[in-house]
Amino acid sequence: MKRVLEGSHAVAEAVRLANVQVVSAYPITPQTHIVEIISDYCAKGKMNAKFIPVESEHSCLAALVGAQSAGVRTFTATSSQGLALMHEILHWVSAARLPIVMVDVNRALGPGWNIWTDQTDSLSQRDTGWIQLYCEDGQEVLDTTLQAFRLAERVNLPVMVVLDAFFLSHTYEPVDVPEQKEVDRFLPSYSPRFNLDTRNPYTLSPLVTPAFYMEMRHDMALAMDEAMTCFAEIEEEYAALFNRRYGSVEAVTCDDAEIILVTSGTITSTTRLLLEELRAKGEKVGLLKMKMFRPFPVEAVCRALGRAKKVAVIDRNFSFGAGGVFAQEIKAALYKLPVRPTVFGYIAGLGGRDVTTDILEEIYIKTRETDLPSQESIWIGLQEVKYAN
Amino acid sequence: MNTPTMNLKPLFMPRTHETTEGNKTGSWRYLRPRYEDKTSPCSTACPAGEDIARIEMLSAQGFFKEAWETILRENPLPGVCGRVCFHPCEGVCNREGFDSSLAIHTIERHLADTAARNDLKPALEKLASQPQKIAIIGSGPAGLSASWFFTMLGYACDIYEALSEAGGILRWGIPEYRLPAPVLRTEIGRIESQGIRIFTGKHISESELNKLRGNYSTVFMGCGYSRSTPLGVSGETSESVKDGLEFLRSVRQGEKPSCQGLSAVIGGGNTAVDVARTVIRLGGKAAILYRRRRQDMPAFAEEIAMAMEEGVALHELLAPGAIEAQGDQYKLILRKMKIEGQDKDGRGRIVPDGDKTSEVTVERIFTATGADVAEPWYNPPSDKSGAITLSHCQIKFDKEGIPLVYGGDLTNVTKNVTQAIASGKQAAMAIDTYFQQGRDAIESRLASCRVGDGLSLSMEVYMQGARRLRSSHIVQPEEINTDYFQFEARVVQPRLLVEERTGSFNEIDMRISANLAIREASRCFNCGLCNQCDNCYIFCPDVAVIRGRNMEDRHINFDYCKGCGLCAAECPRNAVTLEREGL
Repeated sequence: MKRVLEGSHAVAEAVRLANVQVVSAYPITPQTHIVEIISDYCAKGKMNAKFIPVESEHSCLAALVGAQSAGVRTFTATSSQGLALMHEILHWVSAARLPIVMVDVNRALGPGWNIWTDQTDSLSQRDTGWIQLYCEDGQEVLDTTLQAFRLAERVNLPVMVVLDAFFLSHTYEPVDVPEQKEVDRFLPSYSPRFNLDTRNPYTLSPLVTPAFYMEMRHDMALAMDEAMTCFAEIEEEYAALFNRRYGSVEAVTCDDAEIILVTSGTITSTTRLLLEELRAKGEKVGLLKMKMFRPFPVEAVCRALGRAKKVAVIDRNFSFGAGGVFAQEIKAALYKLPVRPTVFGYIAGLGGRDVTTDILEEIYIKTRETDLPSQESIWIGLQEVKYAN
Repeated sequence: MNTPTMNLKPLFMPRTHETTEGNKTGSWRYLRPRYEDKTSPCSTACPAGEDIARIEMLSAQGFFKEAWETILRENPLPGVCGRVCFHPCEGVCNREGFDSSLAIHTIERHLADTAARNDLKPALEKLASQPQKIAIIGSGPAGLSASWFFTMLGYACDIYEALSEAGGILRWGIPEYRLPAPVLRTEIGRIESQGIRIFTGKHISESELNKLRGNYSTVFMGCGYSRSTPLGVSGETSESVKDGLEFLRSVRQGEKPSCQGLSAVIGGGNTAVDVARTVIRLGGKAAILYRRRRQDMPAFAEEIAMAMEEGVALHELLAPGAIEAQGDQYKLILRKMKIEGQDKDGRGRIVPDGDKTSEVTVERIFTATGADVAEPWYNPPSDKSGAITLSHCQIKFDKEGIPLVYGGDLTNVTKNVTQAIASGKQAAMAIDTYFQQGRDAIESRLASCRVGDGLSLSMEVYMQGARRLRSSHIVQPEEINTDYFQFEARVVQPRLLVEERTGSFNEIDMRISANLAIREASRCFNCGLCNQCDNCYIFCPDVAVIRGRNMEDRHINFDYCKGCGLCAAECPRNAVTLEREGL
């Protein structure tokens, strides 16, 4: 049934439909609406789940480690500083092979204290062993959250579903909310591959000596690789039932494009508008939407970008001393090609600043008019600042 | 359709069936937790040493009978004390700094009323019979208390009461609207049912006392202060100035003395307020004349407030100077006083305000400035040689070594019902120790029964009950983990309307429901007492807290307790003590 939902509420509906058994969360803007609805559902019995309020995000994820180890399906959501506080447990979850699903609402880290969107929070967790999926709109949020449970439980790695603060979390859009019985066909109730059992006691995650640690990590690496193929299979199954698929990446008019803009999150939607305008003017431009960030879809990226002359990667994030994170990853992915497009890295929209079609057009024109990028990262829309004496 | 478990790659992950029990984390410990019940401040402030934290814990769980019996181990008169005690317990309640103190007296009264309504019979420990017999002179709170505790310790007691009914000041001095006769009769009935004989209408003279001393092993003197002290001003006669206590007694004996017109009541204690309010109920007007200020009055603040609601006038800083008869009336000449500096007790020091005076013409004058013994020989002899002076009583031995114990108002510094009860208890303990272990053992034996090292004594401790295991440490407010408590308003005492009050002697304070009593008792922090909340069990990261079927079984597995102290920190009520290992 089509409903008009906030991005946050699309998450909550997906969690309700996913038969999650334990939810733990600590509120933080802009994630709060998600757990407000979920806690209400738990309280009213619309979800048969235990909601564990906690005193911090660190405890929140630790609580889910316990719950998921006991063999139940779990969920949490957080943002920004909250995700940063979870950092230690993020590593633990993936290495303990616990298929926990989490939603991160991208928010800038302070200081300057800022509640608006910025991808640095999730991207700085890229090495924690979590699968990361970035969403563009409310429907994709709902669909991806449902798929995330299948994916996580298939490869026994945790999945982080990522959405932009406010532009997506607090924006109302029509969302098709599927029926419970349809979702149940796609996502049956959880059957854990291992779980703590008092009748057969054992210890999970004990000491591992140098003799086995590498093999354990290698197994995780294989699982991450497997996630790439599994994701496509799961998307196919989902599409068969609900007629929607997104792909690990989405390439729009890339086949004949000379310049391709690479985006993620809600900037993608804005870029779609610009793309129509530019194509109408005869510009040979394409768009590559990055949905999956971990595992990084190297093959798909190379396929989409391989024929272009120039690639403009728009990063709403920054890794100090290195550049935009997507730009780095794209460059690394393209390295295996014998002939590579020139990659321009643009930094835009940090701390929730709006990225309009005008800004995107400026990026496009800059890329078109320059042979080589003037800098490793080109910051777009910077104002002149006055320094205090 | 694929199921999620199909075609799954095996997981390479660490798991062991080896127990971690071999890792004895207890070896890391340098701090050691210990379950140790402590003393609540209320129980030390209670002159009778009632185990209030436990009474509230039982009440909160609906164990009203057990809670009532817990009171009776330390105080035979919960129905009386729930009504007329000045509840010093509430003044030191640790909850006061959090929201407001617990209504301890309201719950005490509820327990007593519930027991009375259901005609409950207490199941209390009683020691084996002793050969000695005890005579008790006076059936006021001191005498009743002494008889109760002597009986508990195995002694047969006879009480001699001069008036027609037992109770002393409780029966004849406190107005019906504060302490109805049926409540007192129930309490006395229960005391009698323990085998105590009360001979009423049996006034004991000095010579009869000497005869009694031949028939009994000990005589307890609890004759009380039943006579108001005279004002000591010119014009004072038995006609012009009436004894306030005598007046109250006559009303409780069923008389209805005429109170038309304005009566002056001199004094600032509860007797003064009782007299004034009784005058109002008999259709008169009353003015309390007090030489200090309202805030200096020893009467209970709430009683003063209610008296004023009922129309009693209060005139401060006026001391009686002289009385002149004017026909049927009296002119009372009053010296005006003023405050200058402070007394030793912190109250403002009063001095005459120059020669200023004022006058008031009244129908009659009541004195309620203090009380004294009815007969001078009731007082303990001034010759203290060979006597043992304790906090609440004095023991004098005759030539044969037969002890004579003076208690209650005769020896108490503070003269009120609960101090009198404390005195009776102390007498029973002291004399029992004297009989069993000799005179020299009295002091140390009593000292071992002190509640939190204060003046209050515990009979349960004396009788080797579980309470003896408590630490004497008094739980301080900062030792309560208030994270585990929520603000909750104190129960409001329901009362008769002013209009209902002034027209009758009906009891003013009404009953509260069992629900309200449970809710109020649940507010108690239970300072220092484990109530098996299981916080330590939940928080212990080493699963080293072992629960049992009952409190005694709860213990710590020191093989694994690494001394982190979480159990002590998360205990809401300081029932876990953390000490340095090896001390």
